[in-house]
Amino acid sequence: MKYPVWMDVDTGTDDAVAILALHKLDCTEIIGISTVCGNSGLENSYRNTRSLNTVCRSSYPVYRGADKPLVREPFHALAVHGKNGLGDIIVPLPENETEYHEAAWEALYKAAREYKGKLKLIATGPLTNIAIAFTEYPDLKEYLDTILIMGGATREGNVTPCAEFNFYADPEAASIVLKSGVPIVLCPLDVTEKALLSPEDMEELRACGNDAGKFVFDILQKPWSFHKSIGNKGVQMHDSCPVLYLAYPEIFEGEEAGVVVETKSPLTRGKSVTDLYSDKQFEFKNALVVLDVDRKAFSEKLKELIKGI
Amino acid sequence: MTTHDLKASPVPMILDGDPGHDDAIAWVLAEASRRTDKICDIRAITTVGGNVSLDKTTYNALRICTLLGIKDIPIAKGAEHPLTADLMNAPSVHGESGLDGPALPEPEVTLEDKSAVQLMTEVLKGSEEPVTIVSTGPLTNTAALLLSHPELKEKIGQISLMGGGIGFGNWTPAAEFNILVDPEAADFVFRSGIPIIMSGLDVTERALMYPEDFEEIKKIGNPVSDIVWQWLEFFYKFHCELGYAGAPMHDPCAVMVLLHPEIFTIKDYYVEIETGGEYCRGATIGDVRNVKNMKPNARCVLDLDREQFAKYLIDAVKVYS
Repeated sequence: MKYPVWMDVDTGTDDAVAILALHKLDCTEIIGISTVCGNSGLENSYRNTRSLNTVCRSSYPVYRGADKPLVREPFHALAVHGKNGLGDIIVPLPENETEYHEAAWEALYKAAREYKGKLKLIATGPLTNIAIAFTEYPDLKEYLDTILIMGGATREGNVTPCAEFNFYADPEAASIVLKSGVPIVLCPLDVTEKALLSPEDMEELRACGNDAGKFVFDILQKPWSFHKSIGNKGVQMHDSCPVLYLAYPEIFEGEEAGVVVETKSPLTRGKSVTDLYSDKQFEFKNALVVLDVDRKAFSEKLKELIKGI
Repeated sequence: MTTHDLKASPVPMILDGDPGHDDAIAWVLAEASRRTDKICDIRAITTVGGNVSLDKTTYNALRICTLLGIKDIPIAKGAEHPLTADLMNAPSVHGESGLDGPALPEPEVTLEDKSAVQLMTEVLKGSEEPVTIVSTGPLTNTAALLLSHPELKEKIGQISLMGGGIGFGNWTPAAEFNILVDPEAADFVFRSGIPIIMSGLDVTERALMYPEDFEEIKKIGNPVSDIVWQWLEFFYKFHCELGYAGAPMHDPCAVMVLLHPEIFTIKDYYVEIETGGEYCRGATIGDVRNVKNMKPNARCVLDLDREQFAKYLIDAVKVYS
């Protein structure tokens, strides 16, 4: 049996790669994809995600979600993802596309009910849509199997000294989701910054002979120039971590922890506070925090999936 | 190990703390240095409420000075409570008296009839050389000094403090005890522009004395070693239950880094203190990646050669033979 999976994204160059990987996984079936304001604006996330149906020759339903965080002003990462959020690469939308007009949270809730608690949710953008869904439908928590999240950092952040982009962008939403009571697998920067595609890996994908490989190479050029400029050895495939974790948990290492999100101060806004390194423990363990990955296995698996499209 | 240019040199010094087992051992180190290499030229000892109440930390300070035979250094009582916050204590770590364990001599030294800030002010005014403040408790006294005598800022060469942690805490998941007790004071000190050497949990939780080190100290057999090994054992008992392999020498790091900087790994970061927040109050946020592009305000001590640390500490106890 295949896992039914819902994906919530802010596509986003690494979201795009994560969706392509999920598309190709044998053990999963994509039920729907909802989009959110994040790496760039909602309209970009929405359009970019639909254009992946062209790359995959698929017809996954794509939904529009929140066009801004719950209470904050939108915060984007255009320097990494390009003006359109997809490395400034424009892919045509599928011909004869069906557009879905339901809001992300309505569609997610419906799917969760339909799959009677078996639905796994992967979230790779700010958690606004999911938080809205929980707020509107308190019983949603009973219908989700797991939420796998790319977000947070147990030590250093990437947009402030202590906060990671997705949690910084919508800290209130992150807090709501972490407190939801649904089992959570959290992939913070600790692991996602180790999940690299090197220039050689990207070259290998370009030369592999399928359109998806060439597409991944193209969209990663913009983030690569960003990562190269700050001294990184490859492009960080943040969002592919929760996807690959679903299929290959054995290549990752993690620890159960209590995790909360700071929302009450500008200095530590969006900091994911864990009790992993502290004498003092929270009274709960609400997440499996993924901390490490076999880098080689990660890039090999990811390349294999992309090449198979 | 060395990643910095710190060098040990004789400095006039004020010891400011909330003793506490590890404050006491920090002072054992400092006094041993005063008697030998004279790097710690102790000019005053001041107390603050922290680990336990001010009355208890002050009584402990007098008892420690008596034990160490310190008779010629003025001692003054400092702030009873944090600048704006209510005082919180850590009796679970140090026992009811703040220095539970072996019986200590009753005080044979007396307090100055002046406040800690008054005494600090006199020392600063009277010193030709810039003075180092070694702060092993909440930073209340130092902040109060800077608030009341801003003109003396230039007289403070540096503040070597035990507090904080880059990215994690101990008393809450985000905050270390000394900073958490008085984050407003810490914030004031970290923004002051005075050079700071911050020995945070990053290094202090690795500065472990193992049971075999206690044995070594026990064997020395002088009046100070007789007490120190029992303090270590008391301190270890508490930490052992938390999974530590030894007794963490938090406060001694703030002195040791002045005596033997070469055994420490130190990096310069811009550090901000969280005074608000729901979960992060008291956190020391170090800009490890320099995302804010600010000039570093603290030399953060991150790691150490534990073997050397233990050796130097044991050697210091031998000075009292």
